[in-house]
Amino acid sequence: MSSDLTIVFLSLRVAALAMMFALPIGFGLAWILVRKQVRGRFLIEAVVSLPLALPPVVIGYGLLILLGSRGPFDGLAFTTFAASLASAIVALPLIVRTFVVALEGVDPRLELAARSLGAGPWRVLVSVTIPLAYRGLLAGSLIGFVRALSEFGATIVVAGNIPGRTQTLPLGIFTRIQAGDDSAALRLVAVSIALAIATLVVHDMLLRRGGLSGRRHRAGFGA
Amino acid sequence: MTNPANIVNTGPDTLEIPEISGTSEMSGVLTFSFKRTQGDFSLEVAGGFGSGITALFGPSGSGKTTLLNCLAGLLRPEDGEIVLAGRDLYRASSRTFVPPDKRSIGLVFQDGALFPHMSVARNVMYGWRRTPESERRVDVDYVVELLGLGPLMDRSPGSLSGGERQRVAIARALAMSPGLLLLDEPMASLDARLRGVVLSYLRRVHEDLGIPMVYVSHSISEVLALADDALVLSGGKVMASGLPARVLLDPALGGMFQDDPVENLLDGIVSDPGGPEASGKVRVGSAEIVTPSAGRPAGEPVIMALGADEIILAISEPSGLSARNVVAGSITELEPVGDGVYASVDIGVPVLVALTHGAVNELGLERGQDVYLVFKTSSIKLLEAAPIAVR
Repeated sequence: MSSDLTIVFLSLRVAALAMMFALPIGFGLAWILVRKQVRGRFLIEAVVSLPLALPPVVIGYGLLILLGSRGPFDGLAFTTFAASLASAIVALPLIVRTFVVALEGVDPRLELAARSLGAGPWRVLVSVTIPLAYRGLLAGSLIGFVRALSEFGATIVVAGNIPGRTQTLPLGIFTRIQAGDDSAALRLVAVSIALAIATLVVHDMLLRRGGLSGRRHRAGFGA
Repeated sequence: MTNPANIVNTGPDTLEIPEISGTSEMSGVLTFSFKRTQGDFSLEVAGGFGSGITALFGPSGSGKTTLLNCLAGLLRPEDGEIVLAGRDLYRASSRTFVPPDKRSIGLVFQDGALFPHMSVARNVMYGWRRTPESERRVDVDYVVELLGLGPLMDRSPGSLSGGERQRVAIARALAMSPGLLLLDEPMASLDARLRGVVLSYLRRVHEDLGIPMVYVSHSISEVLALADDALVLSGGKVMASGLPARVLLDPALGGMFQDDPVENLLDGIVSDPGGPEASGKVRVGSAEIVTPSAGRPAGEPVIMALGADEIILAISEPSGLSARNVVAGSITELEPVGDGVYASVDIGVPVLVALTHGAVNELGLERGQDVYLVFKTSSIKLLEAAPIAVR
């Protein structure tokens, strides 16, 4: 059995790595859904939301087929990377949904005004879109991070339960419960609860101060 | 009755464009000829803007904003071309499309569209910072002073009034040294008092910086007060272009504007402020006009608003009237519009007078005739004008 610290740090690492995939992709998808009139919009929405509706085990199994020995990405299953990927996919719907709300609150005319003032698309993103949506984006990132931390079903199928490599908090708790070590399990449960409460408090502060959409900016910054 | 020959059938298939000659400047800083379809609305336009102020006029839904967005590069036309000062901004045949950030066309939105997360100063500098040093022709400090923004620079846009917001938006667009400034109904959200201020700022900006402007408006009065040229859009087509007074008062288009009461907006200087019980005096052109108490000291600029239908026209100098103003001038234009006739009378500045056909016939009015304008002090509203610049 690995130590509490190993499990906690691995969990944070897996969730952080998951966010490195999920946040940029989530932002890109949300931006397309909000700003672009693309064909197949419904398809994007459906695919993005699917992990929310499916049992995580099914997602894990799908990943296992892709990353397993008979899949196109052989050798990636049962790694820290696989655990992160599973967490990322499960967290993605929440991230996209919050980001969509955040971006919808940014008046598109402000972006057009910035373009007409000589800013290229990336400059507009960095100087107008993200600063105006940042509260919602931060809140969405937090929600995604917590969801990644608590991922169990998909992870155990595609990444297994390998101490020090893929045994994250929920898997650690599961293992200790099965081993009948209640006090060890409860220590990790306490860490989980603390992390969850801390995240929710920060999330709540963000929302209360600015609203998801960031519209309050109209009344002045940081007021 | 209007001469039937002058009536243009505005049905979509038999549209004729009235032949109205433009001013010499119409040769074109910007020329365009393109098509853009949006749902069941189709914009199909050809025309140009000169180096002066061009008013883009037309009922709502006529395609004014779509035209501006195509020119600024925010929308892509389907066919045709857009050329600014000899440079292709869009050309379908060569697949040229210059993105909005490379066009150097300033755009001022209806409510300003200021960046709410930046101070006024950062808003103003946004475009300037993105303009290559070699292309910075406009002195930002000068623009800030010209538009009276000095005291506002540290404020956040949320704390500004409508007129202040518009001035910041105009300064922001000017600071990037645009080759052309597009203003999309910048007065739409302002009350009448602020309109005068923004109007006089715009005129001053144009005089001082010489940047060509296109100004979208619903108001004949604003167009007459501001523009050198007018371009009338209706149903996605260019209906007419040329001198504002001629274009807007063209009988063929009369029906479009009949409901909008025409108001003369005349630049004046207070010569006598008057008092609580006493009228003031304002010099407009070569005439000194008795106005309601000016409420500001002598020497201050004001804009005098006077409805075209508040003015009586006389062919000999009347006397014994209660109306305080009798001003001599001569008729330069007589244009039938709908049920009436508009006379443009030169009193040092052009003033429009609304007349009936009966009155024109009975008095035998014609161009070049010397006449007197009679109007009451109480018909005059004085609007705040931009203060005279320090420089």
